[in-house]
Amino acid sequence: MSAKPEITLEHFYVFNGTYAKKEGEEEKKILYYYPSKIDLDSQIKNIGLSEAIIKFTESFNPGQACDYCHTHKTRQIYFQPEPDFWMVMIVGVPRVWKVKDGTQFMEYQNEEVSSNVCQAILRQTYTMFRLFMGSFDTILNDPECGSVLLLKHKLDHFYSRYLLSLKLNNSDILDVFQGLQFLPLDKTTFLRVQCFMNLVEAMFSQVKYTAFLYNDQLVWSGLDPEDMQVVYNYLISTLLPAYLEKELHGGSMPRNSPSPFTSSHYGKFVTGPSSINEPNGTGKLPRVYINYSTIPISLYLVVYRALSATICLFVDSKTSLVMDFFKSLDTFLGPQLTTLVSSVAEQCSKHVTIVADSSPKYLYFNKLNLAYKSTIHLDNRRCSNVLTTPEVLRIITDINNDTNKLKEAGEVIIKTMSDYWVVGKLSNLREFFVVIQQKNANLIEIDDEVKRLCEQQLKSIFFH
Amino acid sequence: MLWNVNRKRKFINSGKTKVFSCSAMATKETVSVGDGIAEPGIEPGASAETMLVTTDSFEEYEQEMSSSIDDKHMKESTTSTISEIQEEVQDIPVTPTPTSPVDLKKVASPDDPELEDISYQFGQTSLDVDPLRSKAWLAQKKHVFVLSQAGKPIYSRHSSEDKLVTVMGVMQALVSFVQDGNDMIRSVHAGDTNFVFVVKGPLILVSVSKTLESVPQLVLQLTYVYNQILSVLTQSQLTRVYDQRRNFDLRRLLTGSERLIDHLLNFMDREPAFFLGAVKCLPLLPSMRDSITQTIVQTCGKIKNLVFAILLANNQLVTLVRMKKYFIHPADLHLIQNLVDSSESFKSAESWTPICLPKFDSNGFMHGHVSYLAEDCQACLLLLTVDRDVFFTLSDAKQKIVEKLRRTNCLEAINESMNKTSVTTGEIGLPEMRHVLYKCRSTAQFWSPGFQSPYTTDEEVERLLGLYQCLHHRLHAPSRPLKLIFQQLDKETMLAWVTSGFELYVTFEPLVTKPDAINSVSKLLKWIKKEEERLFILNSPTF
Amino acid sequence: MESSTSEDTGDDYYLELSADPIRFESVSFLTNVFFDDSNKQVFAVRSGGVTGVLVKGPNQNLSFRMEDKGPVISIKFSPDMNILAIQRTNTSVEFVNYLPTRELDSVEYSQSCKGKNASILGFVWTHGNEILLVTDHGVELFQVTPEKRTVKALKSLSLGVNWFVFCPQSYLVLLSSGTIGNQMQALHITPGNLHKLTKFEMEATATKPGKLAVSERDVALAVLYDIPCIIVLRHQQGASRSNATTFVYVYTVHKMMTIKRSHILKLDMSGRFAINVVDNLIIVHHQASKTSMIFDIMLPGVSDGTVIYHTSVAVPKPIKPYNLKVPGATLSEHIFQPCQLYSPNWVVFQPNIVIDAKLGCLWYIELRLDALVKVIRDKILLVEFLMQRKDAKQILIQVLQSFMTQMPVSLMEMPTIFDKLNSVYRSHLENEIQSQMGTPLQSNTKSVATTLENLKHKLLIDQSDIYTHILSKFSEGTIEPKMVVWVLLEYIRSLAEHGIPVQHYLHELVITTLVHRKAYYQLHQLLQYHVVADSKPLACLLLSLENLYPAAHQLALDMLKRLGNAHEEIIEVLLSKGHILPALSFFRYVRSVGMADEISARKFLEAGKASNDPILFHSVFKFFEQRNVRLHNTTAFTRGEHCQPYVQHFKYLFRETDNGCNSDTNSNVSTVST
Repeated sequence: MSAKPEITLEHFYVFNGTYAKKEGEEEKKILYYYPSKIDLDSQIKNIGLSEAIIKFTESFNPGQACDYCHTHKTRQIYFQPEPDFWMVMIVGVPRVWKVKDGTQFMEYQNEEVSSNVCQAILRQTYTMFRLFMGSFDTILNDPECGSVLLLKHKLDHFYSRYLLSLKLNNSDILDVFQGLQFLPLDKTTFLRVQCFMNLVEAMFSQVKYTAFLYNDQLVWSGLDPEDMQVVYNYLISTLLPAYLEKELHGGSMPRNSPSPFTSSHYGKFVTGPSSINEPNGTGKLPRVYINYSTIPISLYLVVYRALSATICLFVDSKTSLVMDFFKSLDTFLGPQLTTLVSSVAEQCSKHVTIVADSSPKYLYFNKLNLAYKSTIHLDNRRCSNVLTTPEVLRIITDINNDTNKLKEAGEVIIKTMSDYWVVGKLSNLREFFVVIQQKNANLIEIDDEVKRLCEQQLKSIFFH
Repeated sequence: MLWNVNRKRKFINSGKTKVFSCSAMATKETVSVGDGIAEPGIEPGASAETMLVTTDSFEEYEQEMSSSIDDKHMKESTTSTISEIQEEVQDIPVTPTPTSPVDLKKVASPDDPELEDISYQFGQTSLDVDPLRSKAWLAQKKHVFVLSQAGKPIYSRHSSEDKLVTVMGVMQALVSFVQDGNDMIRSVHAGDTNFVFVVKGPLILVSVSKTLESVPQLVLQLTYVYNQILSVLTQSQLTRVYDQRRNFDLRRLLTGSERLIDHLLNFMDREPAFFLGAVKCLPLLPSMRDSITQTIVQTCGKIKNLVFAILLANNQLVTLVRMKKYFIHPADLHLIQNLVDSSESFKSAESWTPICLPKFDSNGFMHGHVSYLAEDCQACLLLLTVDRDVFFTLSDAKQKIVEKLRRTNCLEAINESMNKTSVTTGEIGLPEMRHVLYKCRSTAQFWSPGFQSPYTTDEEVERLLGLYQCLHHRLHAPSRPLKLIFQQLDKETMLAWVTSGFELYVTFEPLVTKPDAINSVSKLLKWIKKEEERLFILNSPTF
Repeated sequence: MESSTSEDTGDDYYLELSADPIRFESVSFLTNVFFDDSNKQVFAVRSGGVTGVLVKGPNQNLSFRMEDKGPVISIKFSPDMNILAIQRTNTSVEFVNYLPTRELDSVEYSQSCKGKNASILGFVWTHGNEILLVTDHGVELFQVTPEKRTVKALKSLSLGVNWFVFCPQSYLVLLSSGTIGNQMQALHITPGNLHKLTKFEMEATATKPGKLAVSERDVALAVLYDIPCIIVLRHQQGASRSNATTFVYVYTVHKMMTIKRSHILKLDMSGRFAINVVDNLIIVHHQASKTSMIFDIMLPGVSDGTVIYHTSVAVPKPIKPYNLKVPGATLSEHIFQPCQLYSPNWVVFQPNIVIDAKLGCLWYIELRLDALVKVIRDKILLVEFLMQRKDAKQILIQVLQSFMTQMPVSLMEMPTIFDKLNSVYRSHLENEIQSQMGTPLQSNTKSVATTLENLKHKLLIDQSDIYTHILSKFSEGTIEPKMVVWVLLEYIRSLAEHGIPVQHYLHELVITTLVHRKAYYQLHQLLQYHVVADSKPLACLLLSLENLYPAAHQLALDMLKRLGNAHEEIIEVLLSKGHILPALSFFRYVRSVGMADEISARKFLEAGKASNDPILFHSVFKFFEQRNVRLHNTTAFTRGEHCQPYVQHFKYLFRETDNGCNSDTNSNVSTVST
């Protein structure tokens, strides 16, 4: 009971059953398998079991794909991202040695694992892959070298690193929402940002889409939510933290060294050339694949940052990324962005509200624009920076499970054994969760508390 | 392994342990006001005495359900309760009597060639008409399958199991495959369908359900099915046949008792008693109930080896008299109710039937004298003994009981209560309350009013029970038990509330305001308190 | 497209002479010609008047005879044309009453200057029948009374005067004094009085002895943007002839008290210049190059703290070639002969008059804005320039339209352009509001820039103009829809920054264009940040979009909520969605806070019935039964509510099946004490 028992990643595999035409070809099904050191036979066996389970469930309810499977020691998550392709993630249930009547025994805490959260994580692993590598389909049909081999190679290249970064134990309801945090901003400042981004698009025809973030919060997205969701996740949980880390260490050096481009402003490229007047070229630029809802396209992702503002430029992949392009970008963006940031910053300073620890915490999510806000989570970096107990978070997930079944509106008020009150409200397709720890409160008092909070936080929307 | 034994011990002691929890209640109650309901420190139906084994939480109940049997070492590790009793009296070797439903000799010669053929035939026929291709069959809300570890079909709820050889084969394969990796498959989820697997002794039980019921609840139901099977076979016999012959076709031993399982499953679909782990009593004036009880005690007090006398009416308990220091587990009582409810034959004539009560003793048969009181009083009396040849003693006793009851007008009282449609919350004067389940934890008894509109159709009633089960599941979620749930849903507003003394599940009008809801709950509690002597059995009579 | 038409006019001369000049007898040995720039009248005096005096002005054309009493030096009518003043000697001025009978009175009366042996430099009629004589010894103001044919001295001021200039618009007289004539004294003439303005000195450039440092011909008085100005040509002798350049100094008069040099115009040329003023622009004609330049002192220039330096708005261009209509051989026919521009015979008068004494023509100099549009390359400058011109609205709009066709590049200038337009728009609104209720609009830093006095010279382009002439024009698919959005938002941003409430038709346009290009999520963000102002019409528009973009429904509800007075609408929307219970609970909430008047129970019951969901209907029905109990403690509905059919429906659905309700069997059931 000393160290908190952990969820562990046991297996993770991608397969396509149709690739094995006849007996003995089973290994052809396997596109990726983690851990790779496991011998081929058991790989084949496990995939065989997964296939059996998939077939079995389908035989009972055609059309409804298998979601997950509980065993005593594991949780198996199934996901069919594209026809005939299956991704399976098997996590080990946290276990603790318990002593009952003098004998030790291993207890598997099945209830600690939320299948929904795991589902969400598995989907993330796919969408993230798709963002950087393209969908399985696009890879297979790549005009140049499209092939199963290529797919295998890409899967291996991507997941061998990505899986290590999975935060199974710090994942919670936020992974289910996959929300975007929007920056509260007054109309005028927002318009300034918006118009500036338009100007960028107008001046650089290669730029197809743009997005603007302030710290971790989104101000403007030209992408559709489904795409922004993934990009945002990547920026917030991977790219920017790493960049800031780097800045911190190499940080003391003068901004960009004396150069005509940057002397006047704070702009720097996060992806692309590390410094404008650096000889060693334009640095390597991530390609992203988006627009799956319509016509998928691949674009370069140029991320540029000045002070707390980050802008994403999605650049036509046909553009030749010569230094001049970046220089002109830098000269255009740098000064204007630097001034823009300050006006944004000024506005934000008006919005900051410090919540007392005693005061109720809340979590808001609107599935229509994916906006979320949480005073439960200190940041959206998934590093267990939460102001409440895992129990409460799990209960929120449970409520979310139930309310998903609801059509119009509903409310769930729960009191836990540890005297936490957890309230979930659903209205007008928005979800609002409140956590209050107040031992001797009664239902009515809690209800009033929640009403008060809604009045403060949601007065400008129809949330009844 | 050891902890199973311990569970067994606990179950025997639970009667005494209750006393503490009861005395503890009074003090706890004041705290439970904090649960958000302005509710006076009353706890209707609470009693220090109980004839039922009560369990503190659902999960414990569920585990207890399975634990008593789950593992093979049981036989060695515990001594049979029945033999305990017999030893106390005199040594009579326990051997199944000829009257037991199945002839063991017949079973003892299993490797019977033509038997083989038959099962082989089944295998063949199964292939052509495949239920899996029938929409209607697939659309069933809940399937239940029972098969042997060898994959042999034993029972299927919605079609003759022999058509399902293949699919059961798959189930068996899944189970055994996972077992090979010394793990255990528990459930699979696809869309709105839950597939739940339970492995008990030599049997595999599978439930495929589209209902709202949670996995633990489905597990509980499968366990009931298993216990139902035990109640006709006993654990020892079941294990024995499979020890002797792995792919034995158990259906041969179960012929006739499928209807028990069918009935049990339907029973569980519309009876909260099962997931509540409690029984409902027939409302009676305390004076009447006492005189009925006394009649039974006086008449049967002298009869040796009589363990339980149970009087049921409309599936509700009128009274239960027990042998000192033995308790009956609600799960066993439910099986008895199921037996009575599903066998018309008892109505026609008094009968002498062997029955195994798995919670009481999963390895031995008890013998039950089952009869309805009279033509004009359709209450069913069961006299359960470990003595296999006291039929006539009990038969006489029954006659005496009936005569006395008639003289003291108890029969009328029972009839009246039986014929009366049960009171609704509307009639109690709680307009915003549609329905409620009240369980007294200390006595494992529950009360619920009659269904009123809008719950006037079977679908609606089942939907409502489904909702209750969701609440129950959340309230008792093993790792996250809750004190209180108040939820405003699409069609109704519901409250689930557990205190140290009781569990309450209330259904309100969807638009009820919280103050009104809470208000009516405390009114309800007051009312139940006022009525508790009619609605509950507060004492625990013994011979 | 509008722009293209203006291209077609080919030439880009931005100045021209008025189409039909005032023609008069050209100067000859027996005809003298005089011009009175106060009345804008040309006098042709034939042989001293005996053979007649022809007077031509903008709206007169008269002739009379007067006897010859010697050569006329100067001749002018009084403002209301009842007295004619004639100067024949440099010591006196004669007066003759001009009779309504359009002939001169027979009697002349005279007034000689008071100053001892002072000689008259000239005279000007000021207010009514007052006349100002300027002599080399000072100025004398007289009151003429034609009835009595008397003249009475009113005021006088003595001061050595070299020359003087009078401005009829401002009644300013500028007197040059001092030995080199660079001491400047300006007087403001009011009825019956003279006011001295503070003296000032023009720095003297090196001049040949005996010659004045500032000569009369280099000085013009004008009124620019309602500010009296002294415009002075300053010739800078460079080392050589070539790099000698000329500047124009503009002295502005403040409150008729002080005079300060506030603008300097760079001509970058040298030689002979003439100055006109048209539409508050200073026009400088250069004879040598036969070109003219335009300066606008209201346009931003380079300031050295005290003075602002201006360069010409557009490259120097000649005046548009002019053909003069002259009689041909026969009376009937005419021929057009090109006439020489910038000819030495030209005399230039303020503000905008050019006279060719030889040809006997008087023209007005006129601006050709459409030509200017083509020569001013800087978009922002052009817009600003046009905003300061009279009736240039049409052209400005065309210009803006043409910018739109130059998207996306032109988006670069849009912010500044819109800001300029809107800062004017803003101050106009402020005026209106102040005039209406004297309460100023919430103060906005930007608006301070436009001070109210010069406001009336700024062209007002409000959002309806922009909408009707520019933004709504896009619908004809001139440019990519996404660029339309860019412009739209840029404009709305500018309005917002100037605190100008945006009209709903702009918001509507935003929504429709975004929808048209399926940029729903972008639309969502705009609404999220309340860029689009709430209103019921917009809410309805959103509702109508639901099938295209589901979230629109949510946004609409939010908007209705924010409006605060749309409870009924919200309930309607919920009901139409079949969200009956939410509608009911909202209804209850609204009533609880006493915001909504009673909505009939029937509405909800009907919806409940229509839903074909018995449970739902049951809930609604019970809700109202409970309400009835509270209102008039019975579950029954009042007659007025006409709910009988629903009571029936309820019975039909539940009563007979409802075992719970035959309560007779439960007679002995106790109920809770309520």
